[in-house]
Amino acid sequence: MKLQFKEIFKSFGEKKVLKGISFTAESGMAFGILGRNGAGKTTSIRILMNVFAADSGEVLLDGKKLDYSNLKIGYLPEERGLYPKKKIAEQLWYFAELKGMNHSDAVKAVDYWLERLGMTEYRDKKLEVLSKGNQQKIQLITAIVHDPQIIVLDEPFSGLDPVNAMLLEDTVKEEISKGKIVLFSSHQMNYIEEFCEQIAILNDGQIAISGNIRDIKRSYKRDKLVLRSDDKEKIIKDLGNICSLYENDSLMITLPEPEQKKEMMSKLVSEYDIDEIRVFEPTLNDIFVEYTGGEKEEDKK
Amino acid sequence: MKQFGRIFRFELRGYLTNKVFVGVTALIMLVVAFITFIPRFSGDKDENKPDGADDKKVMIVSVHDDSVSDVMINSFKAAFADYDVQLGSGDVESIKKQIKDEKAECAFVFDTITTYKYYVNNLTMSDTNMASANELVRGVYQILAMIEGGIPEVEAQEIMNVMIEGESVSLGQDQINNFFYTYIMIMALYMVIVLYGQMISTSVAAEKSSRAMELLITSAKPVNMMFGKVFAACLAGFLQLALIFGSAYVFYNINKSYMEDMKFINTAFDIPLELLIYMLVFFVLGFLVYATMYGAVGSTVSKTEDLNTASMPVTFLFVIGFMIVIMAISGSTVDSPLMKVCSFIPFTSPMVMFARIAMSTVPVTEIAVSIAVLVVSVFVIGVFSARIYRVGVLMYGSVLKPADILKLAKKQ
Repeated sequence: MKLQFKEIFKSFGEKKVLKGISFTAESGMAFGILGRNGAGKTTSIRILMNVFAADSGEVLLDGKKLDYSNLKIGYLPEERGLYPKKKIAEQLWYFAELKGMNHSDAVKAVDYWLERLGMTEYRDKKLEVLSKGNQQKIQLITAIVHDPQIIVLDEPFSGLDPVNAMLLEDTVKEEISKGKIVLFSSHQMNYIEEFCEQIAILNDGQIAISGNIRDIKRSYKRDKLVLRSDDKEKIIKDLGNICSLYENDSLMITLPEPEQKKEMMSKLVSEYDIDEIRVFEPTLNDIFVEYTGGEKEEDKK
Repeated sequence: MKQFGRIFRFELRGYLTNKVFVGVTALIMLVVAFITFIPRFSGDKDENKPDGADDKKVMIVSVHDDSVSDVMINSFKAAFADYDVQLGSGDVESIKKQIKDEKAECAFVFDTITTYKYYVNNLTMSDTNMASANELVRGVYQILAMIEGGIPEVEAQEIMNVMIEGESVSLGQDQINNFFYTYIMIMALYMVIVLYGQMISTSVAAEKSSRAMELLITSAKPVNMMFGKVFAACLAGFLQLALIFGSAYVFYNINKSYMEDMKFINTAFDIPLELLIYMLVFFVLGFLVYATMYGAVGSTVSKTEDLNTASMPVTFLFVIGFMIVIMAISGSTVDSPLMKVCSFIPFTSPMVMFARIAMSTVPVTEIAVSIAVLVVSVFVIGVFSARIYRVGVLMYGSVLKPADILKLAKKQ
């Protein structure tokens, strides 16, 4: 399956929120949607969920317009919230049935997922008695209980302890391997890097950059080296101002030309006691900041 | 439709399993039972009450002229049966002292047959002795005057005590009998609509502020959500009313024989079936008009704290209608021009038209027109409210102004 956003425009009153969004997500791999607050992520998701229509452009599934009567979408909203005063199983059934399941299937599916996420003991408790992390797990169930073809996860990892985060990771990976389309939105770049092969960075209602993460990273000039060495002071002294201190007590060397990389590396390794040396690749975080934070500065200029 | 049914059942279950809902309903039923059982247990007690002759309060009457003192004392004794009326000495100081010492409650000291002074320790607001005394002294004076004019005393008494017999025959509604139950039913309509209306708006606002709305809005159609909520509340309200009135009716019938002389209570249960059906019709239509508006209001606020301010215009509209009705039925002006106009305005007609039907004779065509207007309005207001709801649920932040809301709803 292929989910395609095509030239989506959307305004609320005078405010243009989306200015021609296009990207394609494929089943069997997670797609990361990144962007600062107010960049248009939630609006894009809501258009996908048919909460409102786009002003122009279309969302296609395998080249055809979405048929909402047949399409099941699961959604984990960034703003979490269910009914605090209702029993957990009761509200899970309710949401499952709202998405078109019949009651007996809903009961079965809810029991399966409660078991799977280790929440069976809370089945008949009210939601408000759960810790925040456990409430999150219940919320996750509402997104996947009806076996949707498309799953939209907005900040799925916020507020989870490492054990629960791992549980969620496994669950999400399993859903991806089942061939579902998973859209992933997060500010926690490490998770995006871990899950998503494809990303789109939204900025101010437009796609700033999109594509395969590795390709994006490789598109940067490979003219920086990062190294760890006990001879740090000596290297700085010998090489002068092409050296700068980098994070975690390591050094960064910026080469005038990327082609000198090989020569410089062998020189360093032969002359100094080097613990580790690698070509610097920007992290997703660096890319994100460059594409979304830089915009404002350019405006100022 | 399936989705609507699911929301309807979820919301209805929410009401029926709500401890406050169940508790309040049970409490009101208990109070009703208590009230209807009182006459059964208090009836015998009244008869056994000791005759309070011994501790009757003393009233002194002092008359200037001995020739009329007999007539005067007898008249006072007849008029003030709950007082021990004694003839005074004419010594004002000693009478005052008796009152001060609480040996007597009050005293009438006559200077002439038409002038007197009334002595009492503390003059209370509810003291009507002077008014009664004026009445009886005027009678005494008139009889004396007639006797003086040559009419025999027996004849004079007859003239003064002539009995008038009149009987009212009402060709339409008997407003005196209908007043009580009309009042109760209007109050019930008012309470249920305001309470449930606010419950709906609170429920919508709570879904919004707990952010359950984020999931709901992506799972269900706004129109289904709105009407699922409204119809569930309508049925819950109807059930509550039916339980309370039904239990009142049952308890009343159990204790009926003990309440034969309580005219008010008996007329209150003497509701014609036709009127109950009208009550049901106007309850449902009025409920839908206001409940959908309350639902729309709930969707425009982000925090439940802002709800009171936001729902003020709707509540205000409703209270105005209520005031008009209550003033009209209290003042027996149910067919005033204002009431006639209001019985065709959907915001006031549920209560106004119902009051008119109950307390007056309204042409069938007027009732039909009023109901038709209401049905159309329910549809129009419902659709409009659903639009506001659709836009409102996604808006967070400041409280929307009515003008903004209308603009948004129009644009859809």
